[in-house]
Amino acid sequence: MDTFIQLVVDGLSTGSIYAALALAIVLVNQATGLINFAQGAMAVLSAYIAYAFTQAGLPVLLSILLAVVISFVMGAVVERFLMRRFERGDPDTAVVVTIGLLTLITGIAAWLWGYNNRQFPSLFPLSSVEILGAVVSVRSIATTLTIVAIMIVLQLLFLRTKLGLALRAVADNPSSAAFSGLPVGRLLMVGWGLAAGLGAIAGSLVAPQLTLTPGMMDTALVYALAAVILGGLSSPLGTVVAAWMIGILENLAAVYVPFIGHDLKIAVPFILIFVILVVRPQGLFGRKVVVRV
Amino acid sequence: MTLLELTDVTASYGPVRVLEGVSLSVPEGGAVGILGANGAGKTTTLRAISGTVRTGGRITFDGRNIRGSRPDKVASLGIAHVPEGRGTLAQLSVRENLRVGAYLRKDRKAIATDLDYCLDLFPQLKDRINSRAAALSGGEQQMLAVGRAFMAKPRLLLLDEASLGLAPSTAKAVYAAIRRLRQESGIAMLVVEQNANLAFTLVDTATVLETGRNVLTGSADELKGMDEIRRAYLGG
Amino acid sequence: MNRFSTLMRNRWVQLGLVVVVAALLLYAPLVLPVFANQTLIRIGVYAVAVLGLNLIMGYAGQVNLGQIFFVGLGAYVAAYGVNQDWNILVVFIASLVVPGVVGLLIALAAARLGGLAIAMVTIALPIVGVPLAKRLSDFTGGSQGTSARFSSAPDWTGLYNDQWQYYIVLVVAAAAFILARNLVRGKYGRAFTIVRENEAVASSMGISPYRYKVLAFTIASIFGGASGFLYLVAVQYTSPETLSFPHSIGLVIAMVIGGAGSIAGSLIGGAYYVLVPQLTNAIDPSFTAISQGVILLAVLFLLPGGLVSLPRVIRRLTRRRTTRSPQGDSPQTTPAEPPPADAAQEGPENTERQIRP
Repeated sequence: MDTFIQLVVDGLSTGSIYAALALAIVLVNQATGLINFAQGAMAVLSAYIAYAFTQAGLPVLLSILLAVVISFVMGAVVERFLMRRFERGDPDTAVVVTIGLLTLITGIAAWLWGYNNRQFPSLFPLSSVEILGAVVSVRSIATTLTIVAIMIVLQLLFLRTKLGLALRAVADNPSSAAFSGLPVGRLLMVGWGLAAGLGAIAGSLVAPQLTLTPGMMDTALVYALAAVILGGLSSPLGTVVAAWMIGILENLAAVYVPFIGHDLKIAVPFILIFVILVVRPQGLFGRKVVVRV
Repeated sequence: MTLLELTDVTASYGPVRVLEGVSLSVPEGGAVGILGANGAGKTTTLRAISGTVRTGGRITFDGRNIRGSRPDKVASLGIAHVPEGRGTLAQLSVRENLRVGAYLRKDRKAIATDLDYCLDLFPQLKDRINSRAAALSGGEQQMLAVGRAFMAKPRLLLLDEASLGLAPSTAKAVYAAIRRLRQESGIAMLVVEQNANLAFTLVDTATVLETGRNVLTGSADELKGMDEIRRAYLGG
Repeated sequence: MNRFSTLMRNRWVQLGLVVVVAALLLYAPLVLPVFANQTLIRIGVYAVAVLGLNLIMGYAGQVNLGQIFFVGLGAYVAAYGVNQDWNILVVFIASLVVPGVVGLLIALAAARLGGLAIAMVTIALPIVGVPLAKRLSDFTGGSQGTSARFSSAPDWTGLYNDQWQYYIVLVVAAAAFILARNLVRGKYGRAFTIVRENEAVASSMGISPYRYKVLAFTIASIFGGASGFLYLVAVQYTSPETLSFPHSIGLVIAMVIGGAGSIAGSLIGGAYYVLVPQLTNAIDPSFTAISQGVILLAVLFLLPGGLVSLPRVIRRLTRRRTTRSPQGDSPQTTPAEPPPADAAQEGPENTERQIRP
């Protein structure tokens, strides 16, 4: 039972990281209809930027915040100067562009910092507390709470502010939104910027556990995509729930299903996807998943 | 005082030229109709003004050249386009659609007043204020589209086929509300309408397009009296 | 120019050219140094993988980020068969059938999602595949990998090993390219194109997008398996590294740079996959990934049809510069390039970019 609780709490924590990355992907998809396969790579670069600040002697929290701001700009620049040209074209081409971006950014990270693992300082203490008789790491709880807090802030931004309304309007129908004077291009840049900022948080929070390498988020990206598929692209809440479910299930499977173990737990979300596809092709929560117009 | 002036405007979609040379002018507070068969270039004329099609010639609004401006820039000058097919924001609620309409405005109090006016003009929308636009009936969506355009406090309204796909009684109701809006607000209007009978209840003058050119321009009364107009657009 | 292209369209001239090229390909390994032969062999190996990827991605329009998984699977099956002393023909068939069946099963599920979801699922294949290959060590030799020596030249041929391997790769690759060419020029190729262009239209014509996507994916997997078999012929060893994620991305990049939707482009893609990283590694290994990304993005911006469209683009540019007669040359048989996107501006015509639920 103790192990079980610990596994669930740890699963929620890693699930929260996947959720953050998955939400970034959903954010971009809502705004531009694309799947950004470079979202994970951008998050890694952001984590390296935060790492560079900590190496320069800045406190961890400040380093992460600075990285978030820089990532916001990076996301906006990528939208304006790279993706804009492909947004209205063939979606397959746009996907390949993000693949190119993934390669390029991973290459930049490797060129600047090399392939060796770097130790990223944890934002949260490494101690543990006792809950219901189980020993649970403070880091897991704090990570989960941080991501939940960020989701609430995002939700408020989208539902309660003029900027949020404008972003939703552009996501809904860009040409119609332009008729009301909404600067569509600038709002798309903001959307990509927010997604990159969210990725920066995910990358910085997961880096202490995984240690920083250029390919650190490859696996997380796959988990996040699985969460996006399971949640249905139209539902941010569904995506978050799916991400948590994946985090918990893979943790449990790693311990309780001998064949899967820790090395094969990446297969868990995909076994889940295949089962669900057979039963419920529209995804868990979405009305219908990823249909191209 | 001329508000909008088009001089020899051409437009093309890719290699296909749709407008060959359209000229028209809308006076301040006036209402001008554009008539013509399908494919004559009526919708494209409106799109040329709002900057959603590649255009040649000269388009001035309030004395400023606006040809080639981006749609959001055109909107910020005071031109609101109600596109064909309504163009509401489907996943947003009625209230949110109207708030998006007022995006460029900063006067919170006046926005609230205009929102009330809008709901007074289209009482049906009041009951559905929190529904998603996609859930509205066709008539309600058209009202919402006009309402959203009004919320921008424009000086000129571009209205494209507001009666399209509506039951005759609904179409009449929509036009009645637009007539009232015109009287009470003094917004100038450029109206594309297949149903010329309806159009003539709203506009003072009209121009007839054929294959991307004006072939005839006159006051509503003059045009109504002409045989060929009657035969082609007024059903007898 | 004009006279040249009419000459090229003559049947006998074409046939003659084919004979000359075939003779060159057959003669080359006998005179080339070992290193050159090995490079050509690897080009052949990866050209087949890229060709398969091109069928599903370039022709049927379904982004597949997991092609390397099927290459690895084919290589493992071949290695297993060789080590079990199966007949070489059985080994070859097994290394096609097993990836084909696995690809079919994956496609049956993934194609239900439609659109970009196939990309989102297939990206997981190499990432799941590597730990899976390590885990199934009885079959794969685990992290160490497994070797299978079976492609040494038989004595009666009087050939060196590299020459013998070259001929095996040449025969299989040539067969693959001819098959693929016939496939895309026939009924299936047209169906793939219609599915890619517009699924609704395809459905209305009685072409089931689902069925053709599954078919294209399965064929791509079989080509992947063939490439895996050839990989084992050439390298005689395989390990989890063979099917790693960067390699899978590399295949996609090579396919696009060679030319999506082009058979000849696949060959160029195979050459790109082998040669360019070799070149950039020689200059500075830390620049390889960056240069891959930059080259891909540059091609997408400047030459969306890939390297294979370069002659066409050059011809068009020179023609524009020299003649401006309204008649111009004979009408082009190849589809025109997409109009240079004026897309950098927001606004005009920006209605169709949503993925609508």
